[in-house]
Amino acid sequence: MKILVIEDDAATGAYIADGLREEGHSVDLIADGADGLVRATVGTYDAMVIDRMLPGLDGMSLVRTLRATKNTTPVLFLTSLGGVDDRIEGLNAGGDDYLVKPFAFGELSARIAAIARRPRAEAEPTILKVADLEMDLLHRRVTRAGQAIDLLPREFALLEHLLRRKGRVQTRTMLMEAVWDIHYDPLTNVVDTHISRLRGKVDKPFGTELIETVRGSGYRIRAP
Amino acid sequence: MTATAPSSGVRSTPLRLTLILLAIFAVAALGCLAVAYSVTRADIDATLEEQLGQTIRDYGSIRGAEELSERLAEAAANTDPEVRILHYLPDRGSPISNVDGFPAVGGLTVVADTAIAADSGDLSESYLALGARVGAGQLIVAQSREQVVEMRETFLGVLFMGLLPALVIAGLAGWWVARTASGRIEAIDAVLRDLTGGILSARVGGLDGRADDLSGIAHSVNRMADAQETLVSSMRQISSDIAHDLRTPIQRVAVVLDRMRTQTTLAEGQETLLDRAKDETDRIVRTFQSLLQLSQIEGGAVRDRLRPVDLLEVARDVVDLFAAEAEDRGFSLTLGASDRAGCLVRGDHQLLSQIISNLIQNSLTHVPGGGPIEVVVACAQGRVELVVSDRGPGIPPDERDKVLRRLYRLEQSRTTQGNGLGLSLVAAICALHGAELTLGGDASGLTVTVAFPAPAVRP
Repeated sequence: MKILVIEDDAATGAYIADGLREEGHSVDLIADGADGLVRATVGTYDAMVIDRMLPGLDGMSLVRTLRATKNTTPVLFLTSLGGVDDRIEGLNAGGDDYLVKPFAFGELSARIAAIARRPRAEAEPTILKVADLEMDLLHRRVTRAGQAIDLLPREFALLEHLLRRKGRVQTRTMLMEAVWDIHYDPLTNVVDTHISRLRGKVDKPFGTELIETVRGSGYRIRAP
Repeated sequence: MTATAPSSGVRSTPLRLTLILLAIFAVAALGCLAVAYSVTRADIDATLEEQLGQTIRDYGSIRGAEELSERLAEAAANTDPEVRILHYLPDRGSPISNVDGFPAVGGLTVVADTAIAADSGDLSESYLALGARVGAGQLIVAQSREQVVEMRETFLGVLFMGLLPALVIAGLAGWWVARTASGRIEAIDAVLRDLTGGILSARVGGLDGRADDLSGIAHSVNRMADAQETLVSSMRQISSDIAHDLRTPIQRVAVVLDRMRTQTTLAEGQETLLDRAKDETDRIVRTFQSLLQLSQIEGGAVRDRLRPVDLLEVARDVVDLFAAEAEDRGFSLTLGASDRAGCLVRGDHQLLSQIISNLIQNSLTHVPGGGPIEVVVACAQGRVELVVSDRGPGIPPDERDKVLRRLYRLEQSRTTQGNGLGLSLVAAICALHGAELTLGGDASGLTVTVAFPAPAVRP
């Protein structure tokens, strides 16, 4: 993917750019808001990472201007404010997601992957399949190796979220937002408990692990 | 939170002053009228008395009974009894009079028309009569007191047609002025209450061109509010500046730790050290985050974003999220509801969720050995209640106010996790939602009740 990073703090900017390049993306790093707007307008990117506080032109105004010119490139806002209103303000300004500093690189990478443009599946699948695991969305049934697995509604939702994004890392906060609609930091790793219970039903009895832990980031369904 | 003092009725200062003034005005006006009436009346009576005395003296100075009789007869014939009555009773002979009968009168006497006999001609309502011996007989002269009667009517007219309407007009005008003043005082009061409640943009309006004491006070309130708003906004600016200035270096530390952890080969034990350093930076960030959030909520930042939210639905998500972990730690976390259909409150979804999350975590952290934690959402009689209770050691009654203060921690909890901000955050979110937070229970459990006012029903 081609990613534009607009971040005025040199250390953070380099950290993001290096990390994304290591993952195989092509990255342009800009430190000034006004320059960033020019690059965002003339270049074609798959995703943009924009700090909210920038010299020259602040991130919010930058994205508002971009959106006003019908530029729909997905934007992930970075902020050091972390206030109660920031998420809503960021999304209202046209951002697609929102990340509060300091963040772990895994979180950033997973969120970029989540918002980046990708070709749409032709039809909404009714059956999600990975290896010998099958989820029937119509009948809300899960089987592995032909054996039925009994899941609680929220466990089903959690597994469905992971299956729909197989191969892509989902961080704990992303899962909390998607499955429990919780957009603040609950200060504990409650998601881990849910994952371990899900594994107890989906992975443990069958020997091979499909739900994979990605160190320092989160979880993903092993791509076939 | 604040006691509301209704400034209506006699408790309103302007209205009370108006009523007192009106009473003083009425008493003074009535007094003046009464004094004027009695003085005028005495004056008229004195004049009449003088005229009567003079007439008696005139007739008394006539020598000779013949002439006296002639003069009296002539006068009686030419005098209208409605104005003056002449009544002479000679010792011998028939009376000379312009009426048919008159009561015997010695000195000055007021005589009503009912006591006088008259076949023809009109009489006045009342007469002032004086009797005296003149020649060889008793002469009574009575002068009509028509003037006095007319004057009384005039005075009554003044009273009913002038004074009473004046009082009514003054009363209405006073009431209007008082109500206007009360309205302005109430407006100032409302602004002060808003300001205390965190709505810093509240100002007293409608001050153009007015230059009285109330406007003076209103201007002072507005100046105070300006100063407060400037102060708060510069404080917020400082907060966000600090946030920015501190987060960036913390971000760098996190970056360095992350790189060391992933990109270098570490010796045994170094990984653990790095993980601990990472955990500590996370803690700094979280405490910092909570403090920032707290001051933003207390500043009323999201007040205009509140809208109807189903509290039961919010509670379901949070309870579900924590249930697994609670069970692993020996707790049983359950959700109860008075109404399966849900309970609407006016609020912010995420902040309401955070109340429940913080209360559950509070119980998970401070109750040793597990046990039941019950979350109940109940709606009845215009209120929506959220109750979170556990079977832990509780909070002593004299500590309950203190635990709501930021960074305060009970002696027994110093060693447990947490930063002492969870309950302060709950208190701040409750205040923002106009909800009443009560810490109850005893030494065998803590019961936290949050009572929300039910929102007006809106489709």
